[in-house]
Amino acid sequence: MKNETRLFLALLLIIFFTSGCTTPKKKDYSAFKAADPHSILVLPVVNRSVDINAPDYFLSTISIPLAERGYYVFPVDMVKHLLEDDGMSDADLVHNADTMKLCSLFGSDSNLYVSIERWDAKYLLLTTQVTVDFDYKLKDCKTGDLIWSERKGMVYSPQQQNSSGNPFADLIVMAISAAVTKAAPNYMPLAHQVNGAVFAYPKGPGLPAGPYLPEYRKDYEKSE
Amino acid sequence: MAHKIFSIFLALIFTFLLLQGCAANRKYAWGNYDSTLYRHYKNPQDKAKNLDKLKEILEVAEREDRVPPGLYAEYGYALYETGNISEAIINFEKEKAKWPESNILMEKMIRNAKKQEENLRKSSTVSTSGFKEVGK
Repeated sequence: MKNETRLFLALLLIIFFTSGCTTPKKKDYSAFKAADPHSILVLPVVNRSVDINAPDYFLSTISIPLAERGYYVFPVDMVKHLLEDDGMSDADLVHNADTMKLCSLFGSDSNLYVSIERWDAKYLLLTTQVTVDFDYKLKDCKTGDLIWSERKGMVYSPQQQNSSGNPFADLIVMAISAAVTKAAPNYMPLAHQVNGAVFAYPKGPGLPAGPYLPEYRKDYEKSE
Repeated sequence: MAHKIFSIFLALIFTFLLLQGCAANRKYAWGNYDSTLYRHYKNPQDKAKNLDKLKEILEVAEREDRVPPGLYAEYGYALYETGNISEAIINFEKEKAKWPESNILMEKMIRNAKKQEENLRKSSTVSTSGFKEVGK
């Protein structure tokens, strides 16, 4: 039992360390500072995975981490429907459309372009490996320029979570967990984790505090 | 003994990371906004349930005075979609008052909803897409 707990904790710890709360790398924030966006419009998400539901499901995870960074985030579901009503349901088309035109339609300060690079499950014999990988680009509405970008992916394999010390029992547990994941791979915890990590700042290469946070304009110096 | 200390140490680090690093306290009262939206995309036809859920979240958020950005608008839009246009307008107004960044979009939504209300009064035929008319 103690062995199991210790292994479980160690593995969870490894997942945490490799999954986002890592040390920041140097990034040029001068364009971002100059743009000083107060609001962010999340545009329809481009899907390069084979799962047709991925963009919608992704959309449900994006507002909270963004708004918690102190920005006004436009209501994602409403924006999606308005664009669809306007004949702009094709995310690729929207991403290639004129940034400033989209800005003026909604009155946004910046637009976030997200592309799902991976959203898939690899079925191995005794486990299922779930992978997500997102590409983010934030563009300024005054100039149309790119002011921030990031790419982040994460892999999850339920096999890592269990070991009873008894190899035979482990095999059964793994087989069961693989069967469950195979029936319905759950991407949501991974998508939440990636989005949570990608906007972190100054701990991560994310977005500096927006106007609704007390650290607004104060956290620039700390990181540089 | 050494193993025991090591495992306690790991447990402490893990707890610390969980509390401090990734799942910090939230500024706004989101409730289960994310899972509500997820369910909405999974069962898009169940509009009444989505409306109820958004209402619940909003009530708690208002009580705590921690209403997240966009929530009045999402609720307003859900009302609009289920035909409750006067309530929708009230919520678009609230979004606009609370978040000046939403001004342009909310103005459009309010103008559009009022037009829709007018149409409803005149006849029973309503167009589902109205954004285009006022989007220019």
